[in-house]
Amino acid sequence: MPLILIAPLAGLLFLFCLLPPMAQASVSVAELAESPRWQALMHVNRGATLRGRGRSYVTDENFFLAPDGRDNPAAELHASIAALARPGSESRCTYPARYRFLAEHLGWQEAEPFAHCEEYLEWRGQIPEGPIVLIFPAAYLNSPSSMFGHTLLRIDGEEEDGVWLSQAVNFGAQVDSSDNSIFYIYRGLAGGYPGYFSIVPYLTKIQDYAHLENRDMWEYTLALDDEERRWLVEHLWELRDIRFDYYFFDENCSFRLLELVEVARPGSRLLDDYRFAEVPVNTVRALDDAGLIEKRVYRPSKAVELDHLASQLSPSARRLARRLAADPSLATGEEFQEHTAEQQRLMAQTAYEFLRFRNRTRERDPQVARNSLAMLRLVNSLSSQVVAEAVPLREPEPPEDGHATKMVAAAYGQRGGDEFGEVQLRYTYHDLFDNSTGFLRGAQIEGINIRLRSTESSALKLERLDLVNIRSLAPRSTFVRPVSWFVNGGIERVQSGTAADRDYRPSYFIEGGPGLSWQWGSLTPFIFATFRAEHNHAYDPFVTGAAGASTGLLWHAGRGATLGVQGGGYYLTNDEYRHRAGATANLPLTRNNALRFDLERLAVRGDADTEFRISWRYFYD
Amino acid sequence: MKKILLATALLGASMTASANAPGGPGCGWGNMLFEGQSGLPIHLLATLVNGTSGNATFGMTSGTNGCDTSGPLAYSGSSLLAMNGVLEEVAHDIAMGEGEALTALSVSMGVSSDDRGHFNSVLHQNFSAIFPHESVTAEEVLASIQAIMKADQQLVKYTA
Repeated sequence: MPLILIAPLAGLLFLFCLLPPMAQASVSVAELAESPRWQALMHVNRGATLRGRGRSYVTDENFFLAPDGRDNPAAELHASIAALARPGSESRCTYPARYRFLAEHLGWQEAEPFAHCEEYLEWRGQIPEGPIVLIFPAAYLNSPSSMFGHTLLRIDGEEEDGVWLSQAVNFGAQVDSSDNSIFYIYRGLAGGYPGYFSIVPYLTKIQDYAHLENRDMWEYTLALDDEERRWLVEHLWELRDIRFDYYFFDENCSFRLLELVEVARPGSRLLDDYRFAEVPVNTVRALDDAGLIEKRVYRPSKAVELDHLASQLSPSARRLARRLAADPSLATGEEFQEHTAEQQRLMAQTAYEFLRFRNRTRERDPQVARNSLAMLRLVNSLSSQVVAEAVPLREPEPPEDGHATKMVAAAYGQRGGDEFGEVQLRYTYHDLFDNSTGFLRGAQIEGINIRLRSTESSALKLERLDLVNIRSLAPRSTFVRPVSWFVNGGIERVQSGTAADRDYRPSYFIEGGPGLSWQWGSLTPFIFATFRAEHNHAYDPFVTGAAGASTGLLWHAGRGATLGVQGGGYYLTNDEYRHRAGATANLPLTRNNALRFDLERLAVRGDADTEFRISWRYFYD
Repeated sequence: MKKILLATALLGASMTASANAPGGPGCGWGNMLFEGQSGLPIHLLATLVNGTSGNATFGMTSGTNGCDTSGPLAYSGSSLLAMNGVLEEVAHDIAMGEGEALTALSVSMGVSSDDRGHFNSVLHQNFSAIFPHESVTAEEVLASIQAIMKADQQLVKYTA
């Protein structure tokens, strides 16, 4: 009985589809254009960011078939129906995902709708069929664009084939190499760079991040089914050579990837909330919260691998490995031979990785190449004698387990005999004392950090504003010799003025300098040179320069607690000098709550005040 | 089927004298991306010396020139071994007898997953023959590996 009913119904539908698309779709086109998938395919801003709400993020005219396609998803839907309906239409080769969308909703049925699209089919055949993976290369302070990390996607093949030959999907800004750094940051913020998707072998990304920049990488397999993956891949083809604007803060690599996931699974609510900035680690968290993460893999950087190898050697064996790298003939010497085969191989491996580490970024040197090969020969010949399994590398806590990125704090304190209260707001993201779980230890990035202070005698006043405060502590070891550095700019109240009317006055400052740091177990000592320029109404010249130095010691005491002492000072060009010494203890209570104690001695020309603060810090978002 | 195509692309390309820079064709100086390009001189240096990738020799500077294009996949133009920095990873893995680079090599040569253990150990035993001296090129390494496979009962089928 039902069969009899269905047959004529199907016939009717078939007839319906043969009608000109415009005529039959006029009622539903508007509705269809509102559907989440079409909106995702059009990259319509539905309120996730401030600029151009209701419009498509795509700024490239080539993406649209209708003249007003960017502003009018319904018009674009109309135009797409007109362009894609005809079998053999060239536009189908450009818009395979749109075609699928229309075919599904309008009941178009063709066995091989892309048979004539040679280039597309060839490309489609090269894209692996396996899982889609979100890649998060961790923070990298030495590049302003990757300070908060980066995200990209990876399309895998079969599992046993490994991931070297997988394809990486990246969204990045196209940068003019003649731009200097300042201009580069400015254009990044203001949207002056075009952004494009690209697909490259994942191997090149491993080389860029894990080998050259020495960043750990986290790989999160997304829980997308075959159908969802197909949507994503087909839509990628539609984005080939399509220009977006690139904005460093919000419309960046991470944001665009969320849009891709939205195409795969419309209604995943990833883009529902407005964001001022999309921090890559929050992308990981958003996907995790949406239940989209299935599996996590840690890929250590080459620096971490070298460190891991070296950590299995005694200090003397480490030094021997280092000498071995320069003089392979030591392998026949007594000092080397008295170690076990396992230790010998470890030394040779360490020496090889050390040579690669040092020379990966340099011009080929025949001597280094000879020594490198000698180390590998040694590794190779010792392998048969080594029975023990390699010691696995201990995986650090994953970035998504770290504290949230924004912070508010309330503090009570005393300076001299005066009591004060403070509120603090930090837009982003982490300082050296915050719980380093999930963060790169020794990497401080603060952006927009405001402290307002109220005393008994005065209302709320700006005590300090750090626009940027970045500090990179890169420990030096037997094998690596990186330079640490810091840069800090904003407004701070400092003692200034003549002896008669000395007071804490706002000083607009920028300071920075190179430094050195080491790691002794859980202790991290450091020293920095300081160069500073400040604008202060207490001084006549518009800008006063200063130079000095600072030093300190951090102790990662376990359970996320960090304690430290530091001291430093600088001379201003007007013969003033300021110095300060302090101690800080940060005790995390939960992932997003911490108590902090600060004790500081602030001095100028021998006049000194002692300040004490206790604050409760709460991390959110 | 796809695997064979892949291997043909990789091997076929490796026989030509010059491979394209990793990152794909059409990758010029004005074409660098935010990510992958870095601010400090050392990385700039890496970028400069990696502008082109000719015939890889053991011990070469590794890495890519930090430029991506949105064009077709880069497989077609560059072989695995001829890519900067890969030969050294493969050499390391052969010396150890296993590793990701070696897996990638076996996949690109079409070696099925059942034979990879054997492939790894045969190469491991022949390390000195594959890397006779430090000036060995990617092409010579590939030729040696193929010769070794030809002489091996289990692996000869992959050299046809």
